[in-house]
Amino acid sequence: MLRYAWQFMKYDKAKSLGIVIGIIISIFLIGQQTGIFIFLTNAMKALVVNSKSDLWVVDSKTVNANALGKLDIRKVREIQSVEGVAQVFPVVVAGGTAQFDNGTTAGVQVIGSDEPAYRIGLKKEKIIGGKIEDLLEDGAVSADYFDRATLGGALLGTRFEINGKKAVIAVQTRGVRGFGGVFLFTNIEKARFFGNQSNNTVSAVLLDVTPGTDPIMVRDRINKSVFGVRAWTSKDFEASTVNFLLSNSGIGFSIGSLIVFALIAGFFIIGLTMYSAALDRIRDYGTLKGIGASNGYIVRLILLQAFLFSLVGFALGYLFIDLFRRGVSKAGTVFEFTPGIIFAFFVVTLVISIGGASFAIKRIISLEPASVFRG
Amino acid sequence: MSPIAQVIKASKEFKSGDSIITALKPSSMQLEAGKLTLILGPSGSGKTTLLSLIGCVIYPTSGEVIIDGVKTSSLNARKMAGLRLNKIGFVFQQFNLLAPLSAEQNIMLPLTLMNISASEAKKRVKDAMTKVNMSHRASSLPKMMSGGEQQRIAIARALVTEPPIMLCDEPTASLDSASAQLVMEELRALAREGKAVAIVTHDMRLKPFADEIIYVDNGEISKTEIIQNI
Repeated sequence: MLRYAWQFMKYDKAKSLGIVIGIIISIFLIGQQTGIFIFLTNAMKALVVNSKSDLWVVDSKTVNANALGKLDIRKVREIQSVEGVAQVFPVVVAGGTAQFDNGTTAGVQVIGSDEPAYRIGLKKEKIIGGKIEDLLEDGAVSADYFDRATLGGALLGTRFEINGKKAVIAVQTRGVRGFGGVFLFTNIEKARFFGNQSNNTVSAVLLDVTPGTDPIMVRDRINKSVFGVRAWTSKDFEASTVNFLLSNSGIGFSIGSLIVFALIAGFFIIGLTMYSAALDRIRDYGTLKGIGASNGYIVRLILLQAFLFSLVGFALGYLFIDLFRRGVSKAGTVFEFTPGIIFAFFVVTLVISIGGASFAIKRIISLEPASVFRG
Repeated sequence: MSPIAQVIKASKEFKSGDSIITALKPSSMQLEAGKLTLILGPSGSGKTTLLSLIGCVIYPTSGEVIIDGVKTSSLNARKMAGLRLNKIGFVFQQFNLLAPLSAEQNIMLPLTLMNISASEAKKRVKDAMTKVNMSHRASSLPKMMSGGEQQRIAIARALVTEPPIMLCDEPTASLDSASAQLVMEELRALAREGKAVAIVTHDMRLKPFADEIIYVDNGEISKTEIIQNI
């Protein structure tokens, strides 16, 4: 049957090409939108993902890591005293404007954490230029390679101003980018200095629990005993941030609707082309029925063609998606597809292809075997 | 000799909007092994309806059709398809070879439907092609063959399952006279080998090949004529 299905596909080259192109367009659009969605959600939770701690503690009203409130410095000591907390790492996030010699200005978020731990934004594997110790220099901050265009082409060693204060890019990272503004990481004092923030407040507290202690228990203890704060596991804080931004920005709906339209377009392009191909071959299917093929056999023959179209269309479609992914990653839109997502793309391809085949199947099933005698 | 196919007072009516059209009035006939039967009649006389009943592609409105001892009225669509596959070989006016498949693959098709093993199927296909002198066209697509060649491949496809009945619908209508002669000689040879061969036609020139002629007119069998061939 496989050979017959392949022969049917090969025989009607124009229609087969139309079906494969339909699948490619559909799966490429779905892949492209999914990739952009992954990139955006990664950017939304970048601050949390690029930190290292068991728990995050923020003010009780904060649900979005990109809009942290302020915590009194005394809360840090309170949190430190909760049973099960091993060590706390205050974080200061300060907004500002960066100004460069070439006239470029950009909105930035200066994010400071205690050296030498630098629990936020400065993972070793993300550093591509400079040394973390260099951040001790006056005005030293890190900047991301992919933000260089926003920062007027700034690279390692570029001197500029943040809120009118002298700064220098001492460390360069790759792929640590924020959702709203450019992230510049430094130590906590410089973040306060650049952002004109008081020494009496912090934006968040990261903490490690004592070895062998369940972080969930510590989280619950903090939420119970420290007034005005809320402790989160990193995963929960990531999810809360993404949910908040998706539900308040319309990004989810916008990308979701594009994906749905890509699905619908693919479904109908494939469906109508397969239907048209089946009509072209109606005499052949009638002959098959006439000589004794059951409806089940003919349905399997059409489904097998749909499956083969899926395989070919998916292989080519995914190739284009991957080329797109590689292309945009050079501009800083970095995302990866997990094996699960790739498998999901294939399942979607199968669904639209087999769903599209249903038009043809319905037509062929209704064909009477007696039609074979009607010239 | 006992008949392999029997039509017993079978009729066929079709609905067309609110009216009912009688395509075949209650009619009886039978096909016997080793005989070539011509079903003759003008267009619209009901001869194709009769062939469709014997070919198990439609159910009779009344009466009974019995194929190799099986009453078709008791079968569902799937079992009817199975009966067609196993008991009947079809040859059509327009050849009805599957366009995307080569001659060899077209002949192989019914064997695939019967789940015959590949080695056995290949052997049977080779034999069938030899029988119709078309071995040299094994890999040709139908569009690359003449009408006569296509019809011979269609005959090979019909006989490859070794059915006891061969039903042919105007098998020579699309052929030139030389090809028609060749095809009719092949069909007569199949009858001589023991098959029941029925040919629907309105071409009187085919009469010399027949052992029996059934005349159909105005939706009923008007006359049956036995020919004494020498």
